[in-house]
Amino acid sequence: MTAAAIRTAPDLGVELAGLKLRNPLIAASGTFGYGVEVAEIVDLSTLGGLVSKGLFLEPRQGCPTPRLAETPSGLLNAIGLQGVGIHHFVEVVLPRLVDCGTLVLVNVCGDTVEEYAEVTRVLDGRPGVAGVEINISCPNVRQGGMVFGTDPRMTHAVVAAVRGATKLPVIPKLSPNVTDIAVFARASAEAGADALSCINTLLGMAIDVETRRPKLAFGTGGLSGPAIRPVAVRMAWQAARAVEIPVIGIGGIASGADALEFLIAGCRAVQVGTANFVEPGIYTRIAQELREYLRRHGLERIEQVIGTLESEA
Amino acid sequence: MQRESLGGAYRILTFRHPEVARAARPGQFVMIKAGRSAEPPLRRPFSVMSTDAEAGTFSLFIKVVGPGTAALDALPSGGEAECLGPLGRPFPVPAPDRQPLLVAGGYGVAPFLMLCRRLRGGARPPRLFYGGRTAADLPLAGRFDPELLVPATEDGSLGERGRVTAPLERHLDREPSGELFACGPEPMLHAVARIGARLGLPTWVSLDPWMGCGFGTCLGCVVRTQTAQEPAPKHRCACTEGPVFDASCVVWPGEERSLAAERAREPVRQ
Repeated sequence: MTAAAIRTAPDLGVELAGLKLRNPLIAASGTFGYGVEVAEIVDLSTLGGLVSKGLFLEPRQGCPTPRLAETPSGLLNAIGLQGVGIHHFVEVVLPRLVDCGTLVLVNVCGDTVEEYAEVTRVLDGRPGVAGVEINISCPNVRQGGMVFGTDPRMTHAVVAAVRGATKLPVIPKLSPNVTDIAVFARASAEAGADALSCINTLLGMAIDVETRRPKLAFGTGGLSGPAIRPVAVRMAWQAARAVEIPVIGIGGIASGADALEFLIAGCRAVQVGTANFVEPGIYTRIAQELREYLRRHGLERIEQVIGTLESEA
Repeated sequence: MQRESLGGAYRILTFRHPEVARAARPGQFVMIKAGRSAEPPLRRPFSVMSTDAEAGTFSLFIKVVGPGTAALDALPSGGEAECLGPLGRPFPVPAPDRQPLLVAGGYGVAPFLMLCRRLRGGARPPRLFYGGRTAADLPLAGRFDPELLVPATEDGSLGERGRVTAPLERHLDREPSGELFACGPEPMLHAVARIGARLGLPTWVSLDPWMGCGFGTCLGCVVRTQTAQEPAPKHRCACTEGPVFDASCVVWPGEERSLAAERAREPVRQ
């Protein structure tokens, strides 16, 4: 790149909950492993950040199979938070992520409020952790998960407990399976959240008509992919209007234009989920598409786009 | 992409991809998708059928059954696809003192063309038990050395009538040794696993669960496994820890434990 090109290259950097991100593109929890699996095929320095697969105190085997079903422009999953447990993560995985080239957020889970806090305490102070995303929205576990994310008092209790367990940025990931996400956004902010991730998967179901059985062994699952993007944009927009803290938009992003919808709606960053499975190197392409957009609109920084939605209803 | 139609829904699709052409081993696979459209959403896993390192190409044997395979089949000649590979663990190298016995069901024959080529120079010539519904479902039969091939069809239109495990078991009655390699529908793989366990033969199966990513992040393709040493069942990704598994360690659908764990529970006979 020439010196002139560097001077004119639009700046994709964003600031979020005290974190400086190289670009607003974060890999979503559950779609990027613990980062180390993907590092062999994707240059992690092309990401603004990554969020680990959800972690409980103990290892989990997750749901039986089948765990995936393809749906129109979407993916229905019931993985059930299979994971190595927080202790294995901090002792074996996290050391490999220090200096991995991007910010690492850790997605914490719990069957109880106390478990969320305990998982967070294990993480607190460990080198390599930039922040904590709180999973109160997984639809594929019998306890915890969405149970906490669909009752505002429980949401408040979990966020407050995690807040009390760390000084790291705390980012609850909200469920779309509620009537008014603004209520949950406000409950999270009041409990001390630094930012919000909006949204997790939509509760869905697919049935094999030949066998008359659900296509997923768990029965229901979480719907993701381009199919949910309009719902996600609407809910991220509602959350961003409801609170002062920044919102990270998530839902079916697979291009620069998709990411821009969320940024214009008021999100300070976005997460890419299902698209990681289909196009592992997608960050380079989306970043390029964002730069082209900024050039085309005569803008220097991506921050100039955030929250610029015209003629709000 | 170049397409060769083998009749019915069967195709051989050949792609230029020097890395896969150079590095793919029998039993490994690629994740592939026609174009970037959101429909169908996911890439599809296919065993690599053959490679041509000099031409920098690899070929897939596919049966057009759903939207993913239909989209690949609809690619124009010379069209491009998104491809990641080679992925997964290949079939292990057979023990030199054991005859490799290959068992294929339907389009599960795909990895065996390359495996047979690898085994041709070995101490013991392999044998391929190749089964399907009709002769039309065995379109690769003509590409194997007739001396190695034992076909079987459910309607008797090629080889003997019935399941492919019948000639395999007769062969093993005469000569109860060898090493089993199987790829095909799950009930066939389960049957081969039982045969291998009964005779104490090393048995390798290539499994084909729904796969989201192909590199170990979606955890969609896990296989329930259980070894004699580690009795707690474990979910292993078919993409990174398979797709080839030791059949005795697989907890087959409808079973409570793996054949290895079952054997470990049996009282030691005097």
